[in-house]
Amino acid sequence: MASHYEASIRKPLVTGSKSYSDVSNDIARPVEGRANKQWWIVFGIALAAFLWGLGAIIYTISTGIGVWGLNKTVNWAWDITNFVWWVGIGHAGTLISAVLLLFRQKWRMAINRSAEAMTIFSVIQAGLFPIIHMGRPWLAFWVLPIPNQYGSLWVNFNSPLLWDVFAISTYLSVSLVFWWTGLLPDFAMIRDRAIKPFQKKLYSLISFGWTGRSKDWQRFEEVSLVLAGLATPLVLSVHTIVSFDFATSVIPGWHTTIFPPYFVAGAIFSGFAMVNTLLIIMRKVVGLEDYITVQHIELMNIVIMITGSIVGCAYITELFIAWYSGVEYEQYAFLNRATGPYAWAYWAMMSCNVFSPQFMWFKRLRTSIMFSFFISIVVNIGMWFERFVIIVTSLHRDYLPSSWTMFSPTFVDIGIFIGTIGFFFVLFLLYSRTFPVIAQAEVKSILKSSGDQYKALREEGKPLYTMPKRGKVTTYSIEENSTTNQTHS
Amino acid sequence: MASHKTYWKSETELFEKDQAVSHLKHNEFAETLPVNDFLEDEASLQSSETSRRDFLKFVGFSTAAVTLAACEGPVKKSIPYVIQPDEIVPGVANYYATTISDGFDFASILVKTREGRPIKIENNDRARLFGGANARVQASVLNLYDKFRLQGPLAAGVDVSWDTLDTAVKARLDALLSTGQKAVVLSASTTSPSYKALVTQLKEIYASVEHVSYDVVSSGAALEAFGQVYGESGLADYDFSKADVILSFDADFLGDWQGGSYAKSYVANRIPKHGHMSHHVQLESNMTLTGANADKRIPLNTAEIKRALAALYKALNGEAVSESDSSIAGHMNALADKLRTVGSKAVVVCGVEDVNAQLLTLAINEYLKSDAFDPAAPRNLRSSTASAMDQLIADMDSGAVGALFIDKVNPVYSLANGAAFAEAMQKVGFTVCSAFSMNETAELASFVVANSHYLESWADAQPKKSYYTLTQPVIRNLFDTRQFEECLLKWSGSSDTYHDFIKGHWTANVLGGNAWNKAVQDGVFEAAAPKSLDARIDETLLQSAHRSLAVAQSEGMELVLYTKTGMGDGQMANNPWLQEFPDPISRTSWDNYLTISKADAEAYGLKNVNVANGGLDGSYVKVTVNGTSISNVPVMIQPGQAKGTVGLALGYGRKVGLQSEMQTGVNAYKVYFNGSKVQEVTIEKQSGMHEFACVQLHKTLMGRGDIIKETTLEDFITKPASEWNEVPVVSLDHQEVPASTVDLWESFDRSVGHHFNLSIDLNACTGCGACVIACHAENNVPVVGKKEIRVSRDMHWLRIDRYYSSEESFAADDAKKESFDGLFGETGSLGGFGTLEDPSANPQVAFQPVMCQHCNHAPCETVCPVAATSHSRQGHNHMAYNRCIGTRYCANNCPYKVRRFNWFRYNQNDEFDFHMNNDLGRMVLNPDVNVRSRGVMEKCSFCIQRTQKAILDAKAEGRAVKDAEFQTACSAACDTEALVFGDVNDKDSEVAQLKESERMYHLLENVGTQPNVFYHVKIRNTEKA
Repeated sequence: MASHYEASIRKPLVTGSKSYSDVSNDIARPVEGRANKQWWIVFGIALAAFLWGLGAIIYTISTGIGVWGLNKTVNWAWDITNFVWWVGIGHAGTLISAVLLLFRQKWRMAINRSAEAMTIFSVIQAGLFPIIHMGRPWLAFWVLPIPNQYGSLWVNFNSPLLWDVFAISTYLSVSLVFWWTGLLPDFAMIRDRAIKPFQKKLYSLISFGWTGRSKDWQRFEEVSLVLAGLATPLVLSVHTIVSFDFATSVIPGWHTTIFPPYFVAGAIFSGFAMVNTLLIIMRKVVGLEDYITVQHIELMNIVIMITGSIVGCAYITELFIAWYSGVEYEQYAFLNRATGPYAWAYWAMMSCNVFSPQFMWFKRLRTSIMFSFFISIVVNIGMWFERFVIIVTSLHRDYLPSSWTMFSPTFVDIGIFIGTIGFFFVLFLLYSRTFPVIAQAEVKSILKSSGDQYKALREEGKPLYTMPKRGKVTTYSIEENSTTNQTHS
Repeated sequence: MASHKTYWKSETELFEKDQAVSHLKHNEFAETLPVNDFLEDEASLQSSETSRRDFLKFVGFSTAAVTLAACEGPVKKSIPYVIQPDEIVPGVANYYATTISDGFDFASILVKTREGRPIKIENNDRARLFGGANARVQASVLNLYDKFRLQGPLAAGVDVSWDTLDTAVKARLDALLSTGQKAVVLSASTTSPSYKALVTQLKEIYASVEHVSYDVVSSGAALEAFGQVYGESGLADYDFSKADVILSFDADFLGDWQGGSYAKSYVANRIPKHGHMSHHVQLESNMTLTGANADKRIPLNTAEIKRALAALYKALNGEAVSESDSSIAGHMNALADKLRTVGSKAVVVCGVEDVNAQLLTLAINEYLKSDAFDPAAPRNLRSSTASAMDQLIADMDSGAVGALFIDKVNPVYSLANGAAFAEAMQKVGFTVCSAFSMNETAELASFVVANSHYLESWADAQPKKSYYTLTQPVIRNLFDTRQFEECLLKWSGSSDTYHDFIKGHWTANVLGGNAWNKAVQDGVFEAAAPKSLDARIDETLLQSAHRSLAVAQSEGMELVLYTKTGMGDGQMANNPWLQEFPDPISRTSWDNYLTISKADAEAYGLKNVNVANGGLDGSYVKVTVNGTSISNVPVMIQPGQAKGTVGLALGYGRKVGLQSEMQTGVNAYKVYFNGSKVQEVTIEKQSGMHEFACVQLHKTLMGRGDIIKETTLEDFITKPASEWNEVPVVSLDHQEVPASTVDLWESFDRSVGHHFNLSIDLNACTGCGACVIACHAENNVPVVGKKEIRVSRDMHWLRIDRYYSSEESFAADDAKKESFDGLFGETGSLGGFGTLEDPSANPQVAFQPVMCQHCNHAPCETVCPVAATSHSRQGHNHMAYNRCIGTRYCANNCPYKVRRFNWFRYNQNDEFDFHMNNDLGRMVLNPDVNVRSRGVMEKCSFCIQRTQKAILDAKAEGRAVKDAEFQTACSAACDTEALVFGDVNDKDSEVAQLKESERMYHLLENVGTQPNVFYHVKIRNTEKA
């Protein structure tokens, strides 16, 4: 089997001489064990932020959108900035699991589960904003084409906001199904190990009766492939459609044909950065350094560097087109971005998104875990500013100078944003304690081709079934293995 | 009617003998009911007993059921008529002609009433003069429903009955007969013949009665000069439509100068017809509405204006003007030449409060034989001089006054020596104050007469010689109030009503045989034209006047007091529409402020800054005049303010009888010494910054000449329209074609039915803002308060944008922008746009009314996810409030930024405690327009309720709609006909013809929105003089 052979010059994707049972043990450990103090502290903070945000949302809905800092000229600001930001972050998961699956990138296997979880949780955050930003959110269901008895009332298919509704909901549902499909064998693994009846019941319920027969596996593979095929165009379509919110308008700075590819690149950029942020912490906390290796981080950094440069090109192109168009409103919109009252936001965006990823050209930097973590945070700050710049600076000075004004957030704007970050982490932290955070079934499938000990055995010409003696502690066997290697070489 | 039809249930029923059929017929139930099964078993019946719990359940249920059944639906307090009045048809409005004459404003108006409620003020088109309601008059209907108004008479602050008050007054008047003290009636200058007759009637009974009139804002100097020259009391009237050259020395004749705006006659000759329009030169200190409309504006301080007038007089007399004042002399020599050439087609007006200046003005106009100048039928709207009040206070102090009756005026507030007046009031001992709501003077009075609103009163007026108007009540007194004239009648022992009295007086003295009812119906009555007056100008007087003016010098800083378009003299300060009305010049509401030139502001270290949310902040100063100081006056840097002068609006800073939200600004009357609007002042910077509520934070047009297109009269005449009204082009298949012809959409056939368009002539719009308030009243636009206005959340559906040029003219701004070359350096666009943001020290000004443009290809319509905003066949851009979910995408995508969002619930919400938060205030709401809920978008509807009414009326009468029937609130309110509304499918309509004009252009035509509102290129007559 081809998958059982991998060139020796490729670095192992699983280190630490893992056996199959080691993999099961490592992945099941956080689910079966008890949460430590740090988890509770972080969870407590996230929950507090979430509740604070919830309070801000309730205040908004009960009092009116006026509690935000918006005005007659700037009718969207933090709400839609946050929406686009979260949708963008939600791009990495499906890209990693679907597109990399189709391209047979095995390194995805260590990170796809968490990346997809991140996708789903961030799309949930994103989905909140279009609802709460409405003046009358209790009528939000009117955006759905539901047959009704009000006469000829129907949704407006011309509106990009309506396309958003379909795009986001499709993306969320396909991502969810894809994620869950991948989870089935892993849930079944936990079910099989579970000793408490409640856990056993729960995991057997959510593993949908997975038996592990070869028919199950065959169908699993097929479904994965089909879903990957379905999800891949969605990766491109969702942010394309989100960008239509702006691109189809008449406002200088929004009315731009470059937006779809630019937004998709930006979304992948921010999504990968967020995956880096989360996984660099998680691999440490949950002890998954052997599965999420420096190589994984390096590969992600390369994607960040490339997409960051694409985004940078888009920024420059926008400026060029503004000049080349000869439209004075367009020209002023971009001059105003770079030199107007919100120039600080523009330059924050430029330095975070265009300049900071360029450090990744250096191998030392892109393999440095601390630096990667730092850049991943910087990139996400930059991408938030990108959306803020597009939305607020375009609106605050458009056609008629008489309407020009400024925007300043209120504590409610800030509260809701912090609240969604809290909500996101509440979900992610719960996930990390209850879900298999790595697609262990998939990892096991590449263990023999890409696990370090098997690569070493192959190197030595030993059969791959040469296994360490049962009952030995994993850490001990690593030492033994390494000594064996030395003696034989 | 009972039916005898039988219905067959089945075929078998045909066979009557069938056993089954007859059995079924006689038995309701097909099977026997097992009644006996459960009734027979006596034992089980016996054993079943209602337990205590069951009993309680039954009781509980029945109590709840009874309670619920007893509940009523919402109670609506409407009482049906016992006898339905003929003229009141539910849903149909009635209009009554009447007149507002409150001592400051004067206008002939129509009042729209719905089901007996006055809800809107319209212009009275039957009135040849004074037929235009300004913003304050438009808003005056809301005062009727002011919850702070007095609801009954008071004695020392306690409710009393009218009888008690009448008895006390009569007793006092009787007592005065023996003491020999005077009884003084103090009122605003009244032009009412009946009022004067009434006072005379009272005088016949009580000889000690004396009438003193008091103008809160005085025109004393002009009155005195007119008296000296013509031997009569009055103020010369002007008809600017007959003037080709208008030279104004600080006369704000489009504002409140001498009792009201001359906008209508001014604009009549400002729209270029046959290549002809007037040339207007304005010399002034503050930036006024008039100065903003002038072709040439020269900012000068008052001393310089006086010297300029003297120089002009000298130049007209053929003498060379001295060279000491070279710039003024140059202007005046040129102007004198111009005036001499034009001769009688020129007019000079003067607003300088100085008898000498007024004398020279009259002399110049007489010399020019100006057609526009009319001393024969003078205006009577102002008649008092400052000395009359000083005399009154002296009399009161000396004990000569035994009773003081104050009618409507509030001298304790509005006199510079208000405190002295208050003290003198105590000495009088018996003061009766007639007031509409509690005020500073009424607080000190022994009795307060709760005055009726003018919409509840009878009155008459003679604003101009041989020109009469009538005021009739349009609603019964809402409260236990009485108009002051009724009181005077009562006190004079008459049993007549004031209506009888006016009718009697008119029949005897005014009507000359004409019908009274017709006069009431029209609201105006014109007697035969008066014969002309001979001017008796004393040459020596003129010489001395000239001498004194020629040496006028100003010492230090000058304070020039003025009245704001929104607030006037301040008597309507409790009106939230007016408080929220953005000043046409500063575009700031809810405040008065010290206007100062940029150079002076820098010298004093005063600042205007915009904070993070855009809000405008200004430094505080302390203003001191004659030892009287006003602290914490916020500073507004005003382009066009003459260096060395500062301006401050009267009418603010009132506290008594005002809701706390309306207690805005500072009281500038405290320094209005001797009724002179110019005072010597010292200013001193104070700490802290004031938070303004300004709706337009960006002052200049940024060189965007296609937003307000303008050209000079010369270019307009000599060059083809394509040069001064360039149509934007776009590239289609590599060909340049007009932007409006390129279309992404299948066009809709608009030739069928009505297609509404609104024409806005930028030459005719003076920026007065009457349309803004008319729109407010017509469309139930909410008031949102100072805090919300500050953060750019004004709700006005119609706004009047005001732009200043950054260079000396807008044309220079455009040229500067065109000359930008590259990004950096001297001519770079990076720095260049920065400098374009700063207005010039003496800028050109342009006004542009902007409301929803009702685009045929509306960007808002495509983006609404629920299709809440959509297009009508008649060209409206509809807004279905009920469907709106409030995504605000439409507002973002509107290039004109005319959409307004209900950020909060603005009605029945204590956070917004304005007229929509109380039952009384809500009476002003237009029942044809709904009040929007929170969370929905709203905007101009082209007054669809009015156009639909016109269509339905015509349909009911089986005729076509007449052009004049289609009106929006703004077009109806526009006295100068800057706004013309109508159906462009009716080729004979005015608006269809205006659309064909060469001057027509659409706002932001290059965006391709194809608006149904169009503008007319502004023409400036700048080449002359």
